[in-house]
Amino acid sequence: MMITSAETTAIGAAFLASIVEVVEAFTIVLVVATLRGWRPAILGTGAALMALTAIILLLGPVLDQIPIHVLQLSIGILLLLFGIGWLRKAALRAGGVMALHDEDAIFKKEAALLEAESKRHQKSLNWIGGITAFKAVLLEGLEVVFIVIAVSAGRGLLVPASLGAAAACILVLAVGAVLHRPLSKVPENTLKFGVGVMLSAFGVFWTGEGLGVEWPGADLALFGFAALFLAAGLSAAALAKRIKGAIA
Amino acid sequence: MITILKDVAEELYSMFMGDIWLSMAVLIVVAGAALITELTPLDPLIGGAVLLVGCLLVVIASVRRSALKAR
Repeated sequence: MMITSAETTAIGAAFLASIVEVVEAFTIVLVVATLRGWRPAILGTGAALMALTAIILLLGPVLDQIPIHVLQLSIGILLLLFGIGWLRKAALRAGGVMALHDEDAIFKKEAALLEAESKRHQKSLNWIGGITAFKAVLLEGLEVVFIVIAVSAGRGLLVPASLGAAAACILVLAVGAVLHRPLSKVPENTLKFGVGVMLSAFGVFWTGEGLGVEWPGADLALFGFAALFLAAGLSAAALAKRIKGAIA
Repeated sequence: MITILKDVAEELYSMFMGDIWLSMAVLIVVAGAALITELTPLDPLIGGAVLLVGCLLVVIASVRRSALKAR
């Protein structure tokens, strides 16, 4: 079975984006599990995963009914807005202008918030924990759902992209369950940089196709676009570092 | 429930419109490419090139702008 460039990019983008988001959600789920036990943490996480799966199952087939050029153009524009946004933030973090994500600090902050919330509502501690886990997984998962739907819609790639996302979830949860602490060693910004590059490349490709552009090399053009966005992102990070250095 | 829906709406908004300048710049580039492909007799590939180069420039310009603003 031949795997096309589009499939590789779709699975890769879904996998890497999921790692980033699942690591962030896992930190908060771990706070709930540590303070309130695993039951509310697992119940909240399970409910959120069901809600996210329902969104994918509902939206995926609906999008397949939309004319392909309209779908490519609208999803392509959304991918550009989202992907370039991620790339911008990753470049600013790499350039030292924006603070890096600190999972240990987030763990402490969320634990303090949950403790404070628990003190205000003595009777429903587990309920509050479950809702906290539910919200964390739902909000972080929304970005994964968008990426899975966006890179797969209209191309029949919903299953491979979903499998890429699911594989990332299993990997992070397995490592997290063994370590039993926030996954602060994951090179989150590097992953975000990679996902931003892939989504921006996909965005240009789809928007162009939606406008009737026939890219030279068809799907292979994606790799060229990704290389150009990577170069632009690295140049932007170096520029940000220079500006910060000039100020300091 | 309302709080969760509000948080979801905020998350969706920040996903696509987190930085208004960046979003507007991307939309202007797309509009420029669309004008070339739809309203001119030029090869659509030129519209595609405008889209690609425009987006690459938006990445660099938006990072530069944010770095300067952080001063």
